Amino acid sequence: MELKTVELTKQYGKKKAVDCMNITLTEGVYGLLGANGAGKTTLMRLLCALQRPTGGRVLLDGQGIGSLGEEYRGLLGYLPQGFGYYPNFRAIDFLLYIAALKGLEGKAAERKARGLLEEVGLSREAKHRIRTFSGGMKQRLGIAQAMLNDPRILILDEPTTGLDPKERVRFRNLISAFSKGRIVILSTHIVSDVESIAERILVMKSGRIVHCGRPGEITSEIRGQVWECAIPAEQADRYVAQMNVSNLRNERDGRTVLRVIAGDKPMPNAELAEPNLEDLYLYYFREQDTGGGQVRERDSLAAASGAAPGHRASRDNGAPAAEGLSGEASGCGRDGEWKGGDVR
Amino acid sequence: MRKLMGYELRKLFGRRLTQAALLAAVLFSALFTVSTYQNKYASYGGRQASGGEAVALDKEVAARYAGELTDEKVRQMMDELAPKSGPQGLNAIYLYQNAMQSAVTARFSDMYGNWNGLRVAEVFGEEISIGYVDGWLSASRDMEKSFLFLSFAILIMLAPVYSGEYGGVDNLILASRYGRTKCASAKALAGILAAVLVTAGMLACNVGAAYLLYGREGLDCSILFAPLALTEGYIPFNITCGALLGYQALLSLTGAVCTAGVGLVLSAACRTPMIAVVASAAVHIVPTLLPVAESSPLFRLLALLPVYQMQFEALMSLGQLKAGMPYAVLALPVSAGILAVGYALSRRIFAAHEVA
Ligand SMILES: Nc1ncnc2c1ncn2[C@@H]1O[C@H](COP(=O)(O)OP(=O)(O)OP(=O)(O)O)[C@@H](O)[C@H]1O
Ligand SMILES: [Mg+2]
Repeated sequence: MELKTVELTKQYGKKKAVDCMNITLTEGVYGLLGANGAGKTTLMRLLCALQRPTGGRVLLDGQGIGSLGEEYRGLLGYLPQGFGYYPNFRAIDFLLYIAALKGLEGKAAERKARGLLEEVGLSREAKHRIRTFSGGMKQRLGIAQAMLNDPRILILDEPTTGLDPKERVRFRNLISAFSKGRIVILSTHIVSDVESIAERILVMKSGRIVHCGRPGEITSEIRGQVWECAIPAEQADRYVAQMNVSNLRNERDGRTVLRVIAGDKPMPNAELAEPNLEDLYLYYFREQDTGGGQVRERDSLAAASGAAPGHRASRDNGAPAAEGLSGEASGCGRDGEWKGGDVR
Repeated sequence: MRKLMGYELRKLFGRRLTQAALLAAVLFSALFTVSTYQNKYASYGGRQASGGEAVALDKEVAARYAGELTDEKVRQMMDELAPKSGPQGLNAIYLYQNAMQSAVTARFSDMYGNWNGLRVAEVFGEEISIGYVDGWLSASRDMEKSFLFLSFAILIMLAPVYSGEYGGVDNLILASRYGRTKCASAKALAGILAAVLVTAGMLACNVGAAYLLYGREGLDCSILFAPLALTEGYIPFNITCGALLGYQALLSLTGAVCTAGVGLVLSAACRTPMIAVVASAAVHIVPTLLPVAESSPLFRLLALLPVYQMQFEALMSLGQLKAGMPYAVLALPVSAGILAVGYALSRRIFAAHEVA
């Protein structure tokens, strides 16, 4: 099974929420990381045929999903971000309704719905009305409805929103067990949610996939750019304002240890640290808070390599910021195209 | 499909606003019925009565003259019932004593309460059967008002059928296998079925109440020999009360399904139920606000729209077709057309809906 986007674009007025995206997804779990407004939800809706692209297509095994219609939607499970529900429905009735929409009826639907309620830890609340549910319980119900039809393609938009740590672990286990032989895409802002279960991470920015790779590998791009340095605690605010700080830890001796992402050694006592996904995320999205100084630097690198702004330049143009990012080895084509299948 | 329709019906009738609107329609209907009944007045042979006693008195008078209307009977009624003009010179036609008296003076009296010289054949053109029709005709009038109210309740009920999903559940429905196909159809069918059910329910309640209050007398009598208020500008051709109720039932049902057709389209096209209610109510009521006289040929077209079907009297007043059928039967093909377009268009709009 191969889900592919071809120059997929969705534009709202002048705003390109998804910008000429070419990705190919094969079986596996994909973590879609991106800041607010990066275009994750829009991309997912396009993949679910809930919105019509302004340009480009989505293909399943070479066929347009529009023309596949029911056949495609029969393979699909979708948890929307902040989904709607019927407050007066009981949880089990809600699932049975969605099951009916998915073509499941009778005993099979009942069995499946009850099984999923069990799996998301809501079996005791099966007969409770949804309006009495907490945010996290509703979210778990949403996860359950997405999985009712054993979807081959499961698309979850910020599935861990509102889940407590125990439920997050349960969710991760559920998805890990479920994902075999399927395409699972989950978007999040919370890096730790996808770090352990996603086989591949897609970093989305301004409607484009700017980075992709296995969780352990893709951080290598910023290896040599993550520093830890101790400063007097009272100076912390000043440094945080000036630098791309991914973490800040107060020590007992009155000093603060900053974790800084910077191309050059930020201060004489700085020591190199092993980058993690959070650092990578910050590396891409920090400029939205700091006014774009870094994006200009990075975009100028991208421009120098001939890639469009927002694209990452590929490794062979020699730009240091692109280290380890692109090229066929990591699955990202030079034009920003990324072939999930190639990563394997 | 049946399962999906079941869910849609459950959603439809589960909404508080729908329940409130339907309850209001029922209460209004009950109010009309009760107040009409309590306001009944009759005086005969020195006796005066109101409410149920007036009904009994009217029936007693009607029983004396029931049967075929002849010139002989007209003269007898004029002698026995017709009041003479009062001291203020009030037109005798407008003096009301009881239903039979009002019926005979409406047709056969001059302003002084004397026979106007017209014969039965001249007034009605054919033989008619008379009796106690005031009860059924009053009930029919009340039903018209009730159905007008009900048509708005139907629009309130159907407004969220599609637009109610646009608040977020559309994401789930439209991404599901049958969301754009069977579910869209089930919604439209459930909406139409719900409209028919509530209309049939209202009809049954009203007819039942009329039967209890006025009895079954008069169903085979002509509507033409009725008190003045049900003579001027009323349905001008001879049918029995029973047939009248049949046409009213038919037109209220056709009115309900085409009201549903319009309501469903606007539900699918509007972003929120509130906008859908306002839009569909406006579309529904607009024909009655147009400056078109009832004598104008354009009115003959307007009268076929759902709002007039639900009110029925204006449409029935447009006379008969050449074949002797009421002009109002044209509402049937019109309704079928509106229903078909409403069904197809609403599900199409929903199926093509893009989530926002
Ligand atoms: N219906 C819409 N009309 C206009 N602009 C829209 C619409 N939906 C999304 N956008 C814009 O498209 C861009 C991408 O939005 P999208 O919701 O896809 O982002 P996201 O990555 O899911 O963000 P978040 O993390 O906050 O959920 C944003 O700039 C947003 O303002
Ligand atoms: Mg989003």
